[in-house]
Amino acid sequence: MESENEHEVDVTFLHLRFIGRILAGFTHEIKNHLAIVKESAGLIGDMIQLGKSTQNDSGQYLEIVRSIEEQIEKSTAHFTYLNRFSHRMDTPLSTFSVNDSIEELAALMQRFANQKRITIEIDLQEDLAPVHSNPSMLQFLVFTFLEEMLAELDKNSRIRINTEGANNAVSIRITPEGNVIEGAPDAGPMLNEIGNAVIKQLGGTLSRETGKGAVILLPLRAA
Amino acid sequence: MSQTKVLLVDDEVEFASALAERLQLRNYEVVTTHNALEALGSIHSNPPDVVVLDLRIPGMDGIETLKTIKKFDETIEVIMLTGHGDIQSVEAGMKSGAFEYIMKPVDIGELTAKIDKAQKNRTKKEQ
Repeated sequence: MESENEHEVDVTFLHLRFIGRILAGFTHEIKNHLAIVKESAGLIGDMIQLGKSTQNDSGQYLEIVRSIEEQIEKSTAHFTYLNRFSHRMDTPLSTFSVNDSIEELAALMQRFANQKRITIEIDLQEDLAPVHSNPSMLQFLVFTFLEEMLAELDKNSRIRINTEGANNAVSIRITPEGNVIEGAPDAGPMLNEIGNAVIKQLGGTLSRETGKGAVILLPLRAA
Repeated sequence: MSQTKVLLVDDEVEFASALAERLQLRNYEVVTTHNALEALGSIHSNPPDVVVLDLRIPGMDGIETLKTIKKFDETIEVIMLTGHGDIQSVEAGMKSGAFEYIMKPVDIGELTAKIDKAQKNRTKKEQ
């Protein structure tokens, strides 16, 4: 009984850590967008103030303005992902699209992957039926595998996330492709422990093989 | 007086490009690179006076890059660029020989003041 409570505390802590990591990555990304906007606006100001504006610079001005607009669009998309991510926690259980939740998580984790020069590729089967489960915990579980793969894989590797419908269920396959860094610690036992605890809450099944990734199977909502 | 040679290392291409142009308009000679390996290659082929180095660049940890720069030429001054108040990284950078640090988004006046100070420091070291 005591060990079950300890287990629960660990998952809660790790789930909070996951949210913290996503928020840290998000704020870092947005700060970068703002830095680009600030430098771009500053450059226009400089061109005017430092006397470069007398030349035929309208083309360059337009290019800078386009860059600012692009950053604002990127920030807006990122805010939308974060907003959806936050609402995943509104209720413990809901009916949701697995594809949307994976797309959102992959976008919010892109920064971590870029940092390691690893590509996260998603291949999502269209028209998948929604599942009834805990979307935030599903994202946490996928994040746990992704984070581990990002730590283990060498640069220029890939992580593929596929979704597909199978036998009244939706499967999410996370596959690492590339070289493992020499001496990377084996997180297998910990991943199994977290995986088993979380998959129970999700009401699905999980299979995992070291070096080959993981498959999460979530049953479709009973009609 | 010769131009101060600045190497700007940041993986955000548009940020680096706009900041480089702003520095050039202020009469600095600027080279930009977007990852650690490019930066180290540039330092070998065209040693700068001052490196403005993003702590989170792909390819190599920013602190490792800083240490490699200092090993190559101890007199090259490095100003760390950080997106957040990443105190631990900043402290590690200062211990590893960084001259200063500056937070993003950058205040151009603050950055040029730090570059000028770093350049003076480098001149002193060379004498």
